[in-house]
Amino acid sequence: MSFRKKECIAMILAGGQGSRLKVLTENTAKPAVPFGGKYRLIDFPLSNCVNSGIDTVGILTQYQPLQLNEYIGNGLPWGLNSANGGIHVLSPYSKSANSEWYKGTANAIFQNLSFIDRYRPEHVLILSGDHIYKMNYAEMISAHVKNRADCTIAVLDVPLEEASRFGIMNADDQGRIFEFQEKPKEPKSTKASMGVYVFRWEILRKYLIMDNEDPTSSNDFGKNIIPKLLNDGHRLFTYEFSGYWKDVGTIFSLWQSNMDILGEEPLLDMKDKNNRIYARNYANPSSFIADSSQIVDSYVAEGSQVYGKVYHSIISTGCVIEPGAEIYNSFVMPNAVIEKSSVIRYAIIGEDSVVHANARIGDSPEFYDKHKWDIAVVGKDKVVEQNMILLPKEVY
Amino acid sequence: MKAMGIVFSNIYDSSLGELTNERTVASLPFGGRYRQIDFVLSNMSNSGIYNIGIITKYNYRSLMDHLGSCADWDLSRKNEGVVILPPFAQGNTGIYKGKLEALYSAVHFIDHPDYDYVVISDSTVLCNMDYRLAIRKHISSGADVTVVVNRETEKNKKKHPLIVKCNRNDTVTEMMIDSFVRPGTLVGMGMFIISRKLLVNAIREAYSKGMVHFERDYLQKQFNENKLKLSVFRFDGVVLRNEDIRSYFANNMALLDEKVRNGLFRKDTPIYTKVRDEAPTYYGEGSVVKSCIMADGCSVYGNIEESVLFRGVRVEKGAHVSSCVVMQGSKIGENANLKCVILDKNVTVSEGAVLVGTPQHPVIIRKGETV
Repeated sequence: MSFRKKECIAMILAGGQGSRLKVLTENTAKPAVPFGGKYRLIDFPLSNCVNSGIDTVGILTQYQPLQLNEYIGNGLPWGLNSANGGIHVLSPYSKSANSEWYKGTANAIFQNLSFIDRYRPEHVLILSGDHIYKMNYAEMISAHVKNRADCTIAVLDVPLEEASRFGIMNADDQGRIFEFQEKPKEPKSTKASMGVYVFRWEILRKYLIMDNEDPTSSNDFGKNIIPKLLNDGHRLFTYEFSGYWKDVGTIFSLWQSNMDILGEEPLLDMKDKNNRIYARNYANPSSFIADSSQIVDSYVAEGSQVYGKVYHSIISTGCVIEPGAEIYNSFVMPNAVIEKSSVIRYAIIGEDSVVHANARIGDSPEFYDKHKWDIAVVGKDKVVEQNMILLPKEVY
Repeated sequence: MKAMGIVFSNIYDSSLGELTNERTVASLPFGGRYRQIDFVLSNMSNSGIYNIGIITKYNYRSLMDHLGSCADWDLSRKNEGVVILPPFAQGNTGIYKGKLEALYSAVHFIDHPDYDYVVISDSTVLCNMDYRLAIRKHISSGADVTVVVNRETEKNKKKHPLIVKCNRNDTVTEMMIDSFVRPGTLVGMGMFIISRKLLVNAIREAYSKGMVHFERDYLQKQFNENKLKLSVFRFDGVVLRNEDIRSYFANNMALLDEKVRNGLFRKDTPIYTKVRDEAPTYYGEGSVVKSCIMADGCSVYGNIEESVLFRGVRVEKGAHVSSCVVMQGSKIGENANLKCVILDKNVTVSEGAVLVGTPQHPVIIRKGETV
């Protein structure tokens, strides 16, 4: 079978366990974690690809892939159910000589060289499955082509005090990178890598093979591939991105990014029709908002029934908020049930969980020392007993 | 034993007035996110009926746009799926006078040796029903035609297209067309089960004799001549009949009743519709929403009570909306006041506008208009 040549294909790294998300990723891969009422994290890179005209996407999975595979299906919700290209879930597999798990981000791509080769792409876009942002990759790719770059790295201006958490790119006026610092103690610039790369496939292919032959390498894009390309004098450029971007690596950042879609002029506008985010739809009926309800500055998704009070929160598809329940500054994931008179503050309630009557979950940070406070979390499929109290930072 | 489905999309177009000026009754929006045809298609899909012909005549652009490949109903299939059956171009071009006439052009689709039975359905009677039970009943009863019925509970005397009386074995003993009924009578739901061979013969005969109405010219006539054995399948779930504007309005409002919602929308047999990828609905500061059915993609800053909002509706600050059906993409300006109004798609209600109807005669604003 012959494959049509593609200008650019995308590879999404979705193998991470996301262990800092604790109970939320106990039985599921991080990219399958819910977001914003009806989405999952993977919807962002997938929708960005489709909105940028990229029709061939490989998703590299290995940790708890069942829910993610099921969610992606044949790619129809994103319009990626194409016979020529489309979506491919790429799990590690055994080969005749050896079989192994994906050892690092670069190794995951290396193990799928033959998949990429089929399309003979000029460029390969490497994405992460757990970042929240809306971006037009087509603009980045045309900058990459215009610069005759071997590699283009999307960067974001971050506050100087946060720069040491990121890979920092030091570039000249033309955007050509001359130095790369991975999580530097003393950052020289504030241009942080977003983990979005465009490579010329010919070059990347060569370096992936070299990287695989190097036993000392940790097979990582940030630690190995990028520094090596730079050392060898290749043309690396930055591409400056100025919109909303969030790595939802922690419980707090997951909560924060959900809060960022609220408000009349939100930091991240989910209603923006030009950069629509697509999601798999589960045929829920319209939501029912009861007489006893009160909803302020919140999103409520289809299939929910709200009888209680909801302030500055997100209620996902298929949830039930019973009479007298109160929810403040929280993210309630799909199909959760919050029974009567329970009060939830600054919390994440996992998918399909049930909070029985009169429970108290989480609290406002104003009453706590900074290091003792964090978002309270109820995991997926959990049952919170009646009258139970879950303090801030506690995970159930 | 395998069944196919036939769905009528236009038969009752004239009864819904301005709402069906530019669409079929099948594609009339209902219940916040649905079109009427979603119910029968979902029921068929959930009952394992995957080969479905939709008979249509005119105004079917909106219907085709809604259905697409039918993947959203899980009806995009290799060897089966949905076929839209417009009339043959050389036939007469007036509206169909009856279902039998409408079936003339579908006879080639229906006469397929893989299928033993045909489920015929209108698209205006909304319910959540397992057709497999009805087909099983049809087979075990040995009847020629099974009429799906429910018990009329409404107190007011009302005219119905088909009423039957039957004995203890559910065999029909009497049938009446277009008559008034008392509460408790068995009323046809516009759904029939018939063997393919019998239906094909009926269509061929009807064509040669110029018969038009399935119920009057075929069922009743043959039944009265003792040539047909009719049986009923009693459906005891929630049934909403959108026969005219008054009942359409009342049935939208009926969704505010939990019993109706739970009867119509079930987790194990969902009602599917076209996926539109709207964000969830946002409730802003100062919004007050009481007893409402809300689809995705709305932005609410005003007051809404006892209403049904479709996708992507915007209600500005200070607006009061009560007992309204607001279809997709409509915008209600600041301090507007609406009571008992049906806003068709993409209507703009200007700042401070006042529109007041009654449940019997709701005000209807046509698609795309500004008031």
